[in-house]
Amino acid sequence: MSEETDIPEEPGGLASEYALGVLGGDELRRARELERTDSAFRHEVARWRGRLAPMLDEVDAADPPPSAWNAIERRLGGAADGGNVVELRRRVTRWQGISAAVSALAACLAIFIVVRPLAPSPAPVAVERPAPAPPLLAMLGDEGKGTKVVASWDPDAQRLVLAVTGDMPSDSRHSHELWVIPADGKPRSLGTMGDSKMTHMQLADAIAQLLQQGATIAISVEPPGGSPTGAPTGPVVAAGALTKA
Amino acid sequence: MTSVACHLSSAGILFPLSGRAGMKSSMDRRAEFDASSGGSELAALLEAVARGDRGAFSDLYRRTSAKLYGICLRLLPSEAEAQEVLQEAYVLVWRKADRFDAGKASAITWLATIARNKAIDRLRRRTLSGERLEAAADVEDESPSAFEVLGDSEDSARLGHCLEALDERARAMIRSAFLDGATYSELATRENVPLGTMKSWIRRGLQRLRECLER
Repeated sequence: MSEETDIPEEPGGLASEYALGVLGGDELRRARELERTDSAFRHEVARWRGRLAPMLDEVDAADPPPSAWNAIERRLGGAADGGNVVELRRRVTRWQGISAAVSALAACLAIFIVVRPLAPSPAPVAVERPAPAPPLLAMLGDEGKGTKVVASWDPDAQRLVLAVTGDMPSDSRHSHELWVIPADGKPRSLGTMGDSKMTHMQLADAIAQLLQQGATIAISVEPPGGSPTGAPTGPVVAAGALTKA
Repeated sequence: MTSVACHLSSAGILFPLSGRAGMKSSMDRRAEFDASSGGSELAALLEAVARGDRGAFSDLYRRTSAKLYGICLRLLPSEAEAQEVLQEAYVLVWRKADRFDAGKASAITWLATIARNKAIDRLRRRTLSGERLEAAADVEDESPSAFEVLGDSEDSARLGHCLEALDERARAMIRSAFLDGATYSELATRENVPLGTMKSWIRRGLQRLRECLER
């Protein structure tokens, strides 16, 4: 080792090295721990990212293959263009096998039941991590007509999975739009559902925080592609409250 | 309006979704990143994305993905990994768009930093797990604040000037760390100097860089 090793670490030195990305091993672990627990450290890291970012200007742009966008859309749970969805619906053969729907739902629930409890027990580390938030379920029904759709919400993954279990007739002239109605009573759109029996949606933070226990999930009938006003315009065909699974 | 198509996960059927994004001439791209043009448009798109607008997200991707993919390709060893990280970056953008603050950073800086942070996470995950499995297991494998960037730097001329003011060695090492994703130990091996020497070169360089930028 050189005598230069002992350059005193200035305050914020670790933040600059972390933002630059040169750390490995134990130093990287220490920086990640501080990033989680120390807001002043996070702030300093963010400052350094801003200082260094102009170097990214000189990186050559390169077009990603179209498959990259398709993969992102799948991860978010849908298409970005309502028109295409409608177009697709006309072309894609509807999937009507009820037994397949039932097995899909069973598989979905099995994943929840089996995977959740088997999540790795926290490693013995000093840092306290927030406990995983419990999944919530909503049985969406129409008064007296039983459950039509089961919605399961995984707050950690911010993923909403919908399984159609009852009668939800659809046609190409209408869309089923999904809403969350939180305590303030104001419906916010979660997007439109397709024709298939299983839908998943990756929700953004701002929307995800509204899906709390007790919030209502509702489905309304809207023009193709969804409500033009941003608020429900058609009849509500199914609704239910989120409760602990 | 947002819209969501579906896939039948259990049945393994994936709908062929819109393929209109991702195709763009380099001419368009140059125009988009030219000077300050489009900066406020990108910020407006990000604000729409924060409200859950999938159409805005598609536009944002169309206008920025070549920049972000270039960064992923530069840092990661294979196209496949670059594409995976690009996807992770945009999923994070979708989720965290409400954390974008136009008063803190420009939209393109925010997006580019997310792509770089995700790429670095990917590189470090690889080295951490290669190192000591039991130790790697208790390290969260990604930066929880990958989307936080502060203090804008449209002004690349200023950073360029301050980098120029460093001695050549420090400048080269800092650039290589930032743009190639090299760690202290990789740089030390490559330059054939002790690890401590490499650390002191870069630490001094970063200190001087900060002093120059704050002047």
